[in-house]
Amino acid sequence: MNALHVDDLLFSYGEKPVLDGLSLRVRQGEICCLIGTNGCGKSTLLDCVLGYLHPERGLIEVQGENVHTLSAQALARLIAYVPQVHARSFPYTVAQLVLMGRTAHLERFGAPDAADYAAAEQAMAQANILHLAERPCTQISGGEMQMVALARALAQQARVILMDEPAAHLDYRNELLFLEQVERLLLETGVTVLMATHAPNHAYYFESRGHNVTVAAMSCGAVAYRGAPREVLTPEILREIYAVETRLLPYQTSGGTAHQIVPIQTLQEGSD
Amino acid sequence: MKKRTVALLIVLPLLLAAVSLFIGRYTVTPSDVLHALLPFTGETTIENSAVVLQLRLPRIIAAAFVGAALAASGTAFQGVFHNPLVSSGLLGVSAGAGFGAALAIVLFSSAWATYPFAFLFGILAVLLSYWVARIYKTVPTIMLVLGGTIVSSIFNALISLLKYVADADRQLPAIVYWLMGSLSDVGYSDFWALIPIGAGLIALLLLRWDINVLSMGDKQAKSLGVNVRRSKTAVIAAAALATAGAVCLSGVVGWVGLVIPHIGRLLAGNDNRRLMPVSIAIGAGFMIAIDTISRMITASEVPLGILTALIGAPFFIFLLKKTKGGGWRE
Repeated sequence: MNALHVDDLLFSYGEKPVLDGLSLRVRQGEICCLIGTNGCGKSTLLDCVLGYLHPERGLIEVQGENVHTLSAQALARLIAYVPQVHARSFPYTVAQLVLMGRTAHLERFGAPDAADYAAAEQAMAQANILHLAERPCTQISGGEMQMVALARALAQQARVILMDEPAAHLDYRNELLFLEQVERLLLETGVTVLMATHAPNHAYYFESRGHNVTVAAMSCGAVAYRGAPREVLTPEILREIYAVETRLLPYQTSGGTAHQIVPIQTLQEGSD
Repeated sequence: MKKRTVALLIVLPLLLAAVSLFIGRYTVTPSDVLHALLPFTGETTIENSAVVLQLRLPRIIAAAFVGAALAASGTAFQGVFHNPLVSSGLLGVSAGAGFGAALAIVLFSSAWATYPFAFLFGILAVLLSYWVARIYKTVPTIMLVLGGTIVSSIFNALISLLKYVADADRQLPAIVYWLMGSLSDVGYSDFWALIPIGAGLIALLLLRWDINVLSMGDKQAKSLGVNVRRSKTAVIAAAALATAGAVCLSGVVGWVGLVIPHIGRLLAGNDNRRLMPVSIAIGAGFMIAIDTISRMITASEVPLGILTALIGAPFFIFLLKKTKGGGWRE
């Protein structure tokens, strides 16, 4: 059974379809990096999988269950979500935010009990943010906030985690810190991750660490290329999708040869 | 914040209510109050008994419910709209109720219709706001706030129109007075309004975890497992019901529904599981105190809406300084 099965999705905000005939399968324990230009429909796809948007046509199954027939609570037990930027309207403490990850496991009108507090604490320990527990979320850094969002997703104990450009606003070190954290998560809990990202090297990073990583490159509202990083994140395909000239650079690590892809220059759009 | 402090805050309105029974321009001795409340403890005059049981007690109860309703609704609205600047009057309840009351005053020139009219138009205003927001397929937060603003402006214009056509000697003062808020005419016959207030308060207390999660925004709330449409509608309906009940008892009392929730946050934090009961307690206590002061200082009572801001604002600033603001982001 695939962790995530999307078949022939059609979604439009107005006349023009954003997603058209999109299909995608993500296997259990895999991390799938979703790439594509701004506005190509990555976030729309994630919103459909979350059940937040309703496609006009097509099927979305998570762990074999149809997303749009499940209750919000049942769905949240299967999928957790790490947003791009976490809105911080009220100065909740970090511990309170992580505890909200337990909502899907509460009774109706219920409140978290001792077991929920324990799960939240364990999640904070896993994300290395126990020392922040009592800090107001308005007084921590963007990098720390993404760790909080990750901890909240962990507390939710879902088997699939969706991430929408989770490292887009992080500095050089925090971006890497976040990836390392996701990596530990993959190893320790065996979750499946679907991560929208603008950085092709995120996929190469996970590959270099020996993870089961695949790339889905979106174009024209569908998945145009799908496969291992070395198959999809090639100069030819990146040129086609982003109109950017790139070069794939090998480098040596203790584990063997790894790769990074570096941008050289932009090209006239449409030139091949 | 310690559990003991929370407990203390919850007891506060009861204490204030007890004290308030002894205070007023008509002097009643403590023993007379006791005899009036509990006849088996002794006897008192009919006048004393009437002052305590027919005038003061219903006002105190009404004040407590009004304060509790406005504070709880404000807390709930601020939470589900994840906007700390909205108040219980959002979605047009206050303006709608104000119009209903003014309409009743102009049409009937008597008090009986004021309360039901205020209540009905308060609810009508909320439904209108909701309907405006429904122009989109979903009900986006910003459209609801905008809808409430638009509906409020319509009803405020209609209130101005009614003031313009009202009889300047009798009706106009009544309208103006009502719009500034007062509990001076409240009696047991108006207590049916406690039913919507009570129902709204119970619902908001039950939904306080949902309010936490809804304050994360619709998408995150959904991904955390809350049925956003159902929970949000329930919270809005409960808050609107409580506010409509409060506004029809007391007239339009500003400030409480906006600032008491923030006082609650400074004292009890942002978690609605604790914040909601604390807000209710502070709102009830504050309103009892304000109404007591109102009937104490002058024979012609100072409208509540004036006192809430004049007395409440310095208190809020004091708390703000003391707690260093409670962690808001710049």
